[in-house]
Amino acid sequence: MRRFLVLLRKEVKELITPQILLPFVITIMMFAVIGQVVGAEGEEAAANRRLALLDRDRTEASSALRAAIEGAGFTIEEAADDDAGEAARALSASGGSILVVVPEGYGAALGDATPARIEVYSVIRTFSVMSGQDSAALSAALLQVEQTVAQEVMTEHAAAIDPAFIKDPLAVVDHVMVGDRQAQVSRDTVMAFISTQTMLVPIVLFVVVMFAAQMVAVAIATEKENKTLETLLAMPISRSAIVTAKMMAAGLVALVSAAAYMVGMNIYMKGLMEGFGETGTSTSAATAFADQLGLTLGVGDYAMLGLSMFAAILVALVISLILGAFAENVKAVQSLITPMIVLLMVPYFVSMFVDVNSLAPVARWTVLAIPFTHAFLAAPNLFLGNAHMVLLGAAYELAWFAVLVVVAGRIFSSDRLLTMRLNLAKLKKQR
Amino acid sequence: MADVLRVSGLSKHYGRLEAVRGIGFSVRAGEVFALIGPNGAGKTTTLRMVATILQPSAGAIELDGIDVVSDPASARARLSYLPEEAGAYKSMRGREYLRFMAEVFFDDRERQTESLASAAEISGLGDRLDDKIGTYSKGMARKLLLARAIMTRPKLAILDEPTSGLDVLGALDVRDTIKEFTRSGMAVLLSSHNMLEIEYLSDRVSVIHQGTIHATGTPAELKERFGADNLEEVFAEVAR
Repeated sequence: MRRFLVLLRKEVKELITPQILLPFVITIMMFAVIGQVVGAEGEEAAANRRLALLDRDRTEASSALRAAIEGAGFTIEEAADDDAGEAARALSASGGSILVVVPEGYGAALGDATPARIEVYSVIRTFSVMSGQDSAALSAALLQVEQTVAQEVMTEHAAAIDPAFIKDPLAVVDHVMVGDRQAQVSRDTVMAFISTQTMLVPIVLFVVVMFAAQMVAVAIATEKENKTLETLLAMPISRSAIVTAKMMAAGLVALVSAAAYMVGMNIYMKGLMEGFGETGTSTSAATAFADQLGLTLGVGDYAMLGLSMFAAILVALVISLILGAFAENVKAVQSLITPMIVLLMVPYFVSMFVDVNSLAPVARWTVLAIPFTHAFLAAPNLFLGNAHMVLLGAAYELAWFAVLVVVAGRIFSSDRLLTMRLNLAKLKKQR
Repeated sequence: MADVLRVSGLSKHYGRLEAVRGIGFSVRAGEVFALIGPNGAGKTTTLRMVATILQPSAGAIELDGIDVVSDPASARARLSYLPEEAGAYKSMRGREYLRFMAEVFFDDRERQTESLASAAEISGLGDRLDDKIGTYSKGMARKLLLARAIMTRPKLAILDEPTSGLDVLGALDVRDTIKEFTRSGMAVLLSSHNMLEIEYLSDRVSVIHQGTIHATGTPAELKERFGADNLEEVFAEVAR
């Protein structure tokens, strides 16, 4: 055990090098900086919303419209020309982005309870999401005006009918059932809730597995490349201790790295949300329906989720260790671990877009045969109360791990570690 | 002196290639035993089998009474191996590397400290031991690795080209150190292409060619047997 700890310390130190740390720190800082920049940009854009208005109606109704637009945070500039087409061209030439034209007769039309027109000209200079924020804010303001006008017209012209009935004559009440439980909530709301609850799990898993796999494979390939492997193998440390120390060190470093990565991601997302003016909404209503539907996770559920993810990481580590053993040098590692990354990406994307169980039998069993699939399915299964599926999946992952550990042990105890080498670059040349 | 290492009927096949063909030799305590031969003769394969990192296809290796093939773990605690192209962990400092080795070999802190001090002296690297190994010259790295190989005072030190990459003075220092350690009972299994070094260091020499040992004896016996003035002529005679 003491020797193992000495070896583990050495392995961790070997992994924490500036070459590994620097790209990592830069990535995290980039996320944080991008989040902050986008956030600040969004806030600044929201504070400086401008549009041009051509009011050819000049009635009380058009003044109310102007006030509503100003109320939405826009600074209004008068249009440069009385002709709408010319005003739009002038807007585009001057770098403006929105022109609202209120045609003559707008107020009169509303007074007669006939449809009135407003024309909105938008200049597109970029396709960035942020550039659409002004238009979205204007649409919201116009919708507000429309609703106010509708309310007034209904009160005046259809006093006998409840305005609420005209606005919404058919009330659709959504009920959702999960198993034998049900709640009065829309399917979209439930899906959005589950999505926010489970969104991070596959991302964390993907990031951790990718980092851990690369680290352990690189650790073995580096021993070969730097000619330290023969010395290590002749030392009084068991081969299983060498294998375990390398896997554990890579797993630990990958977990810490993933945690740091998630912190960066969090800062990024927070910056984005602030940029788009979204803030954390109260979750009391959300948790109410989640409780009714049983869509909440307890301590035991989290333990099962952790077990499934941990088992997936172990499988990835041992596969990478085996693949790394065949790499002649660090460069070859990237090519060699590609099959494992594909094995990881298939369930990642499949589980993101479709229900694995609804796939055709061959596709379904193929995807389920990949051990990583069960880690990606664990969170949705736990929400749906299929704990037994999660445990079966974890057992399947651990069975893979056990078999692969035996294979890795055989490779490390035999000559193959020194004699079998795959150099993909050489193989390509030979072809 | 008793035999520390006994090798008999040792063979190694890589597929159809027979790298080593049923060789046998022994190394006594305090003795330097050399294997000489042309490239591809089977020297490094033999050293790797004795060092437990390759498994023999046939034959027996006994180190200090232990069967190396069936109990490699016990054998590893009694031997050290310096491969020809060995490297050290470049991100470690020299002293840190030696401490790592001492901690792996010894449970006892006193023995760890003792062997670390011994290695520092053997390496002759002084304050440079506190620098990263990545900054070392080839010769400095070789001295560090040799110090690592004998700091634990193994029963058997397996040294493949121990002075490779060293200048003349460095090589002389290393040879003297090896001699000094053998006087305290350490056995050495040596391989080198430098016949002057072999002649200076070795008590006995085996000439190996195409996986077979063709002659074994003291340098003087071999020269007499082949009517040669030096070991290079013996080598050439066998290799032809």
